[in-house]
Amino acid sequence: MTELTTIASLQCKQQVVRAVRFNVDGTYCLTCGADKKIKLWNPQRQLLLKTYGGHANEVLDAAGSCDSSQIVSCSVDKSVILWDVTTGQPIRRYRGHASSVTCVTYNEESSMAISGSVDNTVAFWDVISRRQEPVQVLKDAKDTITSIKVTDHEILTCSVDCHVRLYDIRVGKMISDYIGHIVTFGSMTHDGQCYVLSCADGSIKLFDKDSGELLNMFTGHECKDYMLENAVSEKDTHIISGSATGEVFYWDLISSNCTNKLVHTRNKPVVSLSHHPTENYLITACEDEIKLWGIKPAEE
Amino acid sequence: MSDSDSDDEPVIRYGTPLDPIEEDEIPSKRKYQEPADQYAVDAHGRRRFHGAFTGGFSAGHGNKVGTPEGWTPSTFKSSRSEKAQISSQRPEDFMDDEDRGEHGIAPRHMHTQSEFSGQKRRQRRFHDGPIPGEPVLEQLLKAVHETAAVKMLRAMGWRPGQGAGDRLTRADKKKAKKQHKVYGCYMPPEMRQENEGTADESEDSSDSEFEYETLFAPDDYEPYILQRKNDRFGLGYSGLSRHSVLGNLVGEYGADAGTSRSHLVMKEKGKKVSIRGQAFGVGAFEADDEDIYAMEDMSHYDFAIGGSAQEKKKAVTQGGANVLEGFVKASKPLPSVPAYPPPALPRDYVPGAATSSRFEPPGPSVKQRDQGLGRHELSAEARGALLGEAPVPKLQEQPIPPTPQPSQTTDDLIAKITGRNVNFVSTNEKPKELDFIPVTDSNKPVAKAFRPFMSDPNKQARYERYLKDKEGFASEREADMDAVSEWERNRELVEFEQAAKLYKPLTGIMGDRFTHASEPDDINPLTVVAKSSTNYGLATPEQIDAAKRGLYGVITRNEAKWRPESLVCKRFNIPDPGGPRPDSKSDDKPKVSYSIFSYLESSVHDKDSFTKEQTKFSGSKSLLNTPKPAQSNTKSDAVKPNDPIPSTSEENPTINKRITVAELFMKESEKAMENNKPAVAVTETIEKFDRMDLYKSIFLSDSENEDETPSTKPNDNSAEDFIDKPKNVERNLSPPRGIFANIDFDELNSWRRNAKTDKEEKADNKNNSKEETAKETQNNKEDTANVYGPQIPENLMKRLENNEEKRADDSFRPIFRKKTEKEVEIHEINSSSSEDSWVEAKDVKSKKVKKKKKKHKVKHKKSKHKKKDR
Repeated sequence: MTELTTIASLQCKQQVVRAVRFNVDGTYCLTCGADKKIKLWNPQRQLLLKTYGGHANEVLDAAGSCDSSQIVSCSVDKSVILWDVTTGQPIRRYRGHASSVTCVTYNEESSMAISGSVDNTVAFWDVISRRQEPVQVLKDAKDTITSIKVTDHEILTCSVDCHVRLYDIRVGKMISDYIGHIVTFGSMTHDGQCYVLSCADGSIKLFDKDSGELLNMFTGHECKDYMLENAVSEKDTHIISGSATGEVFYWDLISSNCTNKLVHTRNKPVVSLSHHPTENYLITACEDEIKLWGIKPAEE
Repeated sequence: MSDSDSDDEPVIRYGTPLDPIEEDEIPSKRKYQEPADQYAVDAHGRRRFHGAFTGGFSAGHGNKVGTPEGWTPSTFKSSRSEKAQISSQRPEDFMDDEDRGEHGIAPRHMHTQSEFSGQKRRQRRFHDGPIPGEPVLEQLLKAVHETAAVKMLRAMGWRPGQGAGDRLTRADKKKAKKQHKVYGCYMPPEMRQENEGTADESEDSSDSEFEYETLFAPDDYEPYILQRKNDRFGLGYSGLSRHSVLGNLVGEYGADAGTSRSHLVMKEKGKKVSIRGQAFGVGAFEADDEDIYAMEDMSHYDFAIGGSAQEKKKAVTQGGANVLEGFVKASKPLPSVPAYPPPALPRDYVPGAATSSRFEPPGPSVKQRDQGLGRHELSAEARGALLGEAPVPKLQEQPIPPTPQPSQTTDDLIAKITGRNVNFVSTNEKPKELDFIPVTDSNKPVAKAFRPFMSDPNKQARYERYLKDKEGFASEREADMDAVSEWERNRELVEFEQAAKLYKPLTGIMGDRFTHASEPDDINPLTVVAKSSTNYGLATPEQIDAAKRGLYGVITRNEAKWRPESLVCKRFNIPDPGGPRPDSKSDDKPKVSYSIFSYLESSVHDKDSFTKEQTKFSGSKSLLNTPKPAQSNTKSDAVKPNDPIPSTSEENPTINKRITVAELFMKESEKAMENNKPAVAVTETIEKFDRMDLYKSIFLSDSENEDETPSTKPNDNSAEDFIDKPKNVERNLSPPRGIFANIDFDELNSWRRNAKTDKEEKADNKNNSKEETAKETQNNKEDTANVYGPQIPENLMKRLENNEEKRADDSFRPIFRKKTEKEVEIHEINSSSSEDSWVEAKDVKSKKVKKKKKKHKVKHKKSKHKKKDR
C-alpha cells in the first residue's frame, strides 16, 4: 500500500466542522459547521462552491442526493432541511423531530431522507412529495440515534441504548443486536455482509450481519467521549477511524492490525471522516480544518 | 338577407343598409365611424380630450400645454445659492381657460361666500369622528348669537321688551297706543280691544299710582305677523292637535283652554268664532263646542260658584301675607332631602385594629364554625398537601388533650394496610401536619383522601375507623360508645357515610371512565436522559453477560416484526412485505384530539370502517335479542338487573352514517374488553351500551330507524348467525319500492331456515336462565305475538308502523295486545330471561311483519354478538 499523503487541506472557517461527507461520486464534499452553515467544496481543487445557510443551530449531518441536485441536512434546531444545490435555497424544512437531529441520509434513489434524532426516533421523509410529516417513524430505540446507514433495502440505526437495529424492508423485520456499549457510529462493508460499529469503549467492532456474531475488533485509537466515526475502504480491505489523539487509524479488516496512522493534527480529535466511494481517498475533519488524503497522482 | 327574399315579402325598411360584408373580411363588431366623428373639438375647432380616456386634460395652445412651444415639465433644481422652492402643484395648474370655463371640468365664477350669502347656514358637514352624525353636544347647546343691531341697541340703553325711541309719559304712551298708525291690513279695532282687554283693566285700576311725571320707555313695537296660508283647509283650521290625540296634554288643554296655543283663540268674552282645530266634525259655526276628542277630566268643571279661576288666583297672590310681590307662595312643600341611616353592623362584628391581613390565619377570636364536613376549613397546610407540597414544619404545636379513643391501634392498622409510612398515625399529637388519610376502598389501591373531620380529632379517628371497616364499625361502636347517645351515633354514621362518598378518591369516581393504559406511554422525548449505557430493560442479563464476554450472536440478537409503511416500500422500490401492521394504528392514536367536535364530526368515510360500524351496531342490537350460550348467560344474568333503562321505552339502535359519541363509547368498550377479565368486560360493555342508548336517544333521529329494520331482518333466521360475518355493505337498506314493494322477501326465504332453527331452539332453552322481570315478560310478549294469527297485509302493516313511530312508546301495540298477553306463559317457559329485556320497540315492530319468525332466532343473534363483543 502506497503511502497516503495530504493532498489538500482546507480551512473551512466554520468554527468546528461537525461532519464531512463525500457526495455520491466523491468529487465534492460537504462540511457541516457549528456556524449553522453547510459548505460544498471541491476538495481536489480546494474550491468552496456554495454555502447553504438556513439552519438555526449547528448542523450535525448532511448528505447529498444521488444526482447531486439536492442536499439534506439536519441540525440541532430539530429540523431537517432539503436544499437545492444550485440555488442554495431550502426546498423543504421538516420539523417532525422533538429534539436535535443527529444524523440524516438519503436512501439509494434519494427519494427518501431518513433522519435520526436525540428524541430516540428515526423518521422517514418523503422528499418527492410535498408531505411535511414523516412517512414513518421508528420508535424502537430508547435513546439517541447516533447514526443511520441505509442500503437498498435495509436501514441500520445505531443508538446510545447500546443497540444496533437493522430494519429490513424486504422481509418486514427488525433485528436488534445488543452491543453492550454505546454505538457512536455504524457503517457497512460494501458487500453488505458486515457492519462496522464504533463503540464508546474505544473499539471498533465488526459484526456479521446475518448471524450477529462478532467477527473482529479493532482497537488502538482513543475514543474518550467523542462520537467517532468510522469508514470502510473502497475495497473493504481496511477499516478507518479517527481518534481523539488527532490521528486516523487504518486497520486491516482481516488481521485487525493497524496498518497505517495518519496524523491530522496532534491532540485534536478527528471525529468525522468520509471515504471516497470508489477510490482511495479519505477526507477527515478536525476542528475547522478538513484534509483530503490520498495517493498523489503520479507526477513522474 | 338577400334582396330576393325581401322583395317577395312586403317589408318596409328604415334607414340605409350597411355595406355588404366581403367574404374574406372579418366582420368587425365595431360600428363604423368617420374619423372626424371620433374627435371632440372645442369652440375653436381644436381637438379636445387628448388622452381623455387615459386621464389627460385638454391642453391649450393647440394641445401644447402652457406655451405655444408646448408644455415643458418643470425640473427639480436646487443649489446652495438657490434653494428649490417647495411648490405644490394643483390640478388647476394644468388647466386652460376652457377647463375653467363655464362648462369645463373646473368652472370658475364669482359668487358670494356662503357666510355672506344671506341664506340660512347650510348644514355643516361633520367630522367623521368615532360617533357618526351631528355632535350631540352641539345640538344641546346653542350659542346665543346676538346680532350687531341688538348689541348696538343695548349699548344705547335698550332693554329687551322695550321699544326704541324717546321716553314717554304715561299719558303719551296711552295716546300713542291709540294712535297706532297702521299701513295696510291690520286687525280690526274691536278684535284688538279684546286681546288687550285684560291688561287694560288692570292698568286702569292702578292709574292713580303713576300720576307723577315719570317717563317710560315706549312700548315695543309688536309686528303683527300674518301667517302665510299654505294649505287648503278652511280658514283658521289647523289639523289634529297632536296633544289630544296622544291623550297627553288634555288636562292642560282643558284647564287653560283660553291660553292654549291652538289657532284662532277666541275669548269667551267675545263669543265669536270658536274653531279649535281639533278634528273634523266641529263645524266652523258651531259656537264653542267642546273638544270632543279630548278626554273628559274633572279639571273641566268648576267646583265653586263665582268668577273664573284666574281671578281667584289673582286674589290669592295679592292676599298672601309673607309673600313678596310678584312671587307666589309654593303650594307644595319642598321635597325634603332624604337622610339615610348608617349601615347596620353585622351581628358578629368585633371592632379591632386593622393590623392583621386577610392572608394571615384567623385569630383566636374567630369562633370555630359548626362542624360541617370541613370542606371550607381547608387551612393553608391542607391546601398545600392537596397540591402535593411538602408541609412546612410547624413550630408551635397546639396542645390537644389526649383522647381515650383507641385511635392509636386503628391508625396502626391503617398504616399496615396502606403499607406506607403515613403520618396520620400521630393524629392526636400532630393533628394538622397531614390532612390526608389513605382510604382503603374494598380491594382498590389505597389512595389519599381528604380528612373532613380534622377539626375534631376524635371524630376523625372514628371516621378513619369507619372507612377502614364499615360494617364492623357500626357494631363496634354499639359497644364502646356509651357516652354518646344513640341518636348522635346514628347521625354521625350518616355523616361519615356522606363524607366517605364525598371524599372518595378521584380514582373511585373516575375509575369507570378510564381504562388502564395497556402499555406505558412513549418515553417523553423531552426528558433528560442520563448519559449512560443503561439498557432500559431492553437487554436481558444473559445478553449483557454475553456481550461482556464477547459472545455476540444468537443471544444478543432480537428479532421483531416490523412493518414498513407502504410509501416507504414504494420509495425503496421494494414490494410491500405485507402482513399485519402492528403499531401503526396505535401510533396515530395520541394525535386524535378528544374534543367534542371530533366526536361529532368524524364520520365514516371508507367502506371498511362502515362495515365495522354496521356489524358493531347490529351487534349491540342483537345482543339484546339473542340468547347466549350457557357460559355467557350466567355472566349476563348478573349484569342484567343493572340495566336502568327499560327496553320498551328504547328506540331501536340504528345504523347511522356518522360516528357518534355512542360509537366511540362502543370502541372504548371493545378495547376495555380486550384488557379486562371477561366478567368485568361484559358488565362494562352493557353499561356502556346503556349509555349508548342514551346518546342515541339524544343524537339520533327517529327517521334513521327505518333504514335499519330491513337490514337486520334477513339475518334473524339464518343459521349462520353464529358465525361472525360482515354484512353486505352494498346492500340497499331502503325499503323495497316499485314492484317489490309488496313482496316480503324475508318470508320467502324464511321457510328454508326453519328446519335448522328448531334444533337450536331446544339447546337454547336449556341454557336460558329463569330470572325474569316484568319488563322482560312484556318484551317477550311482543316477541311471541308474532307467532300466531294470519299475516297482516304489508301495506297495512307499514301504515301501522308509521303511526306507531309517531306516537309515544307506550302506544306502539294497538292491535295485538290481547294476543300477546296470551303468550306470556308460553314464553316464560321458552324465553331466555334476561336478554329479552333488551328487546326494543323497533325490533318488535319489525318482527311483527314477519309472522312466522321464531322467537329463538333472536336469541341466536344475541349470542353471536356477545361473542363478537368479547
